[in-house]
Amino acid sequence: MADSLKINGHLLTLLKGDITDMEFESFVFYASHDLRLGAGFGNAIAVRGGQSIQAELDKIGKKNTCDVVISKAGKLKAKAILHAVGPRFKEPDTEVKLEKTIINAMKLGEDNNLKQIAFPPMGAGFYAIPLDTCAKVMMKTLKEYLGGESSVQEVIICANDNREYQAFKPYFL
Amino acid sequence: MKNRSYKAEKVIELLGKKLNRQIVGSLAACVHCGMCTEMCHYVLTNPDDPTYAPAYKGDQLRKIFKRHYDWTGRVFPWWVKAKSVYTDEDLEALKDTVFGKCTNCRRCTINCPMGVDLASFNRMARGLLVSVGIMPEGVAVVSKDQWEIGNQMGVLKEDYLDTLEWMEEELQDELEDETVKIPVDKMNCDVVYSINPREVKYDPRTIADAAKIFHFAGENWTMPSEGWDMTNFGLFSGDDDLGGSVGRRLYEKVEELRGKKLVISECGHGYRSTRCEAPNWGKLDVPFEMESSVITMLRYIKEGKIKVDKTRNQEPVTFHDSCNNARSCGLFDEPRELLNLVVTDFREMYPNKAENYCCTGGGGAMSMTEYTPRRLKSAKIKADQLTATGAKIVVTSCHNCVDGLTDLIRHYKLDIKVAQLVNLTANALVIPEKISLPEEAAVKRIPEPSTDNVLAGKKILIADDEPDILTFFSTVLEDNGAEVITALNGKEAVELIRKEKPDLVTLDLNMPEMDGGKVFEILRKDPELADIPVCIITGRPELRRLIYDRPVKAPEGYLDKPVDEDTLIINIRKILEVKKHSSK
Repeated sequence: MADSLKINGHLLTLLKGDITDMEFESFVFYASHDLRLGAGFGNAIAVRGGQSIQAELDKIGKKNTCDVVISKAGKLKAKAILHAVGPRFKEPDTEVKLEKTIINAMKLGEDNNLKQIAFPPMGAGFYAIPLDTCAKVMMKTLKEYLGGESSVQEVIICANDNREYQAFKPYFL
Repeated sequence: MKNRSYKAEKVIELLGKKLNRQIVGSLAACVHCGMCTEMCHYVLTNPDDPTYAPAYKGDQLRKIFKRHYDWTGRVFPWWVKAKSVYTDEDLEALKDTVFGKCTNCRRCTINCPMGVDLASFNRMARGLLVSVGIMPEGVAVVSKDQWEIGNQMGVLKEDYLDTLEWMEEELQDELEDETVKIPVDKMNCDVVYSINPREVKYDPRTIADAAKIFHFAGENWTMPSEGWDMTNFGLFSGDDDLGGSVGRRLYEKVEELRGKKLVISECGHGYRSTRCEAPNWGKLDVPFEMESSVITMLRYIKEGKIKVDKTRNQEPVTFHDSCNNARSCGLFDEPRELLNLVVTDFREMYPNKAENYCCTGGGGAMSMTEYTPRRLKSAKIKADQLTATGAKIVVTSCHNCVDGLTDLIRHYKLDIKVAQLVNLTANALVIPEKISLPEEAAVKRIPEPSTDNVLAGKKILIADDEPDILTFFSTVLEDNGAEVITALNGKEAVELIRKEKPDLVTLDLNMPEMDGGKVFEILRKDPELADIPVCIITGRPELRRLIYDRPVKAPEGYLDKPVDEDTLIINIRKILEVKKHSSK
C-alpha cells in the first residue's frame, strides 16, 4: 500500500514495509548516541548489511541529540544510511528536537546528493514518542522542507505496521 | 523545596494518568498484615531480607501514590509513610525492586485478604520507568526487537521462513511423505498457528512436532509469514503501547488470512497476552476464536482425529504450571487431562495449579542477566518441588518456564529433563496405517544422530577448556560425520580457525589465555572469518554479556551446558541449514 503527495515538485510518499529491506536509495535509522547499531532495526542492519556498517560508525564515535551522520549500507538494498540521533523517552523539548533531527537528516542527504530518503516514524515505538506527536511533527517538518528548494526528489515515510500507517494516513487524504 | 529531576517529574505525572479503580484499590487497601510474605519465593529463600516482602515492594510505589494522589498522604504524610521520588537514583532504586525482586507471578495475591494485586501495579511501575527510559538492558533489547522486528528475539523474516521450510523437509524425510506441509499464508484456514520466536531460534523441533499433529489430525491450517509472534513483552515491561501493537499485528494477520481460529502454541505469557490482555491494551475487537494448542491437541484426541499410544512415554513425568496460564488464565485441568492421555506415569507436583510456585524465569527475568544470582537463589523452592516428585521429565506449557526450569535444573544439578506437551503428544502419536511406516519410523524423533551422517563434509571447531566436554562433543559430532578440530583455549582457537576455516565454531565463554567473548569479537571483525557461524555453549549464562555487549553481529546459536546429544545435533544442524539457505 502507498499514498503520495506532490509538494513543490517533490514527492512525499507513505508506505508500509521493513525499512531495512526495501529498495530505497537511502533510509534513516533512529540511532543511539554511541552509534551502536544494537537491537531492533539495528540488528537487522548488522545482520543483513554486514560488519562494515558498524565499523564505519566506530570511526565516528559519539554524537549528540539532533546530530545525523551518514554511512554506506553494506550488503543492504539501500546505498546509504542516515543515522539520526533523535530525542527519546519523553525528554524535554521533544518536538523541537525531533524537527531539528529531521531537518538535519534532509540537509545531510542533500549534501550527499541523495535523491530518495526513507524515514521511519521517528522515535515512535521503543523510544516512546507518541505516534500522533511523531506524525504531526514529521508531516509538518517534511512538508515545509519540501515546499522549499531541495535536491531530494522523494521522501518516503515507511511505516512498520498498520498502526503506524494509519497514524500518517489522514495527512495523505 | 527539593529539586526534582525531569524523569522523576514525568514518572509522577504519568502515575496519575495510569491510576484506575483496580490499581487504586490495590494501592490503598494494603493493611500490612504480612499474609503475602509466606507466598513469595523470594521471601522464602531470603527470610532475613524484608525488602523482598510483597508488602514492602508494593510500598515503594504506594508511598509515591500516597504523597501525590491520595488525600491521606497530603494531610498526614508522616503517618501513612507518603514519600516522593526526586532523583534518577531514586528511580534506579525503584527499578531494582520492580524488575529485580518480583517476577509478577501473582502468587502473593492468593493470600491477600484485601485483594491487593501486587503484580498489576508492579507491572504499572515498570511501565512508568520504561516510558522514561529506565529499564534493565535486557528489557531494552527485547522490547526494541519486538517493536521494530516484530518478535522478541529479533528473528528476521527470512530466517523464520527458512526454519519453517527446513522443518517441513525434515518431516517429509522422517515420514517419507512429501504431502506433509507447513503451509504459510494459506487463506481461509480453520486454524492459524502462532508461535514463540524461541521455537525458531532454539527449539524448531516443537514446530515440527506441532506440524506433525496438525497433519495427522487432517487440520486445514497455516502459519502466518508476518505477525507470527504470539509472545508479548509488553506484559513484562509494562508498556501497554507495545502490548497493544504486538497483539494488533497478529490479529490483523489472522483477519487478512481470513482464519477462523487462532491457535497459540505453548507459552504462558503469550497465551495470557494474546487471548486476554492485548485486546484491552490495544482497544481492539477480535472477531475470531483463540485457543491454546494444549486444548487443540486434547480436542483432537477426544474427537478421534489423532490416536496416541501413551506407552511411548514411560518415564515418570510431572507438570509445572505456568503462572500466567494457571493463576491468571485458569488453564490447569486441560494440560493434566492431556498428559494422562500421552504418558504412563504422571506425578503431581505440590503445591500446584493456581498455587504453584513460579519457575523464577517469569516476568521477563530471563532477559535480565544482572539479577541472575537472585533468581537462581529463589529457584531453590522450585528445585525442591521438582525433586520431591521423583520425576525424570518436567513438562510445562510455557517457553519462559522451559528456560527458567532448565537453568535451575542445571544450577541445582537435578537429573530432570524439560519438555512440552507438544513433544510428548507428537512422540505418542500413532501414525495411521495408510502411511505404512514401520513402527520404529513412526516414533522416530529428529534427529537420528546415530544412524545418519547428517554432518558429513562439515568441518567443526570446538573451543572449550574442559577436556571431558571436548571429548563428548567430538564423539557426537564425529559420529554424525563431521570433521572435528579442538582447541583448549581461546588463543589456540583463533589460530586454528584462521588456519582451518571451519564451517562452524562452538565456543565456550570461560577459557584461559583468551575468553570466548574476545575470540568471538576477533572472528566477527576479521572479514575472512566474520561469516563463520558461531554457537556459544556455556555453563555460565551470566557471562552472556561478554558476547551480547560486543559491537558485532550476534552469534548464530546459543546453548547452555549441560548439552545433550540431541540438542547439540539439532542446533548445529539448524545453524548450518540456515546458513546454507541464507547463502543461496
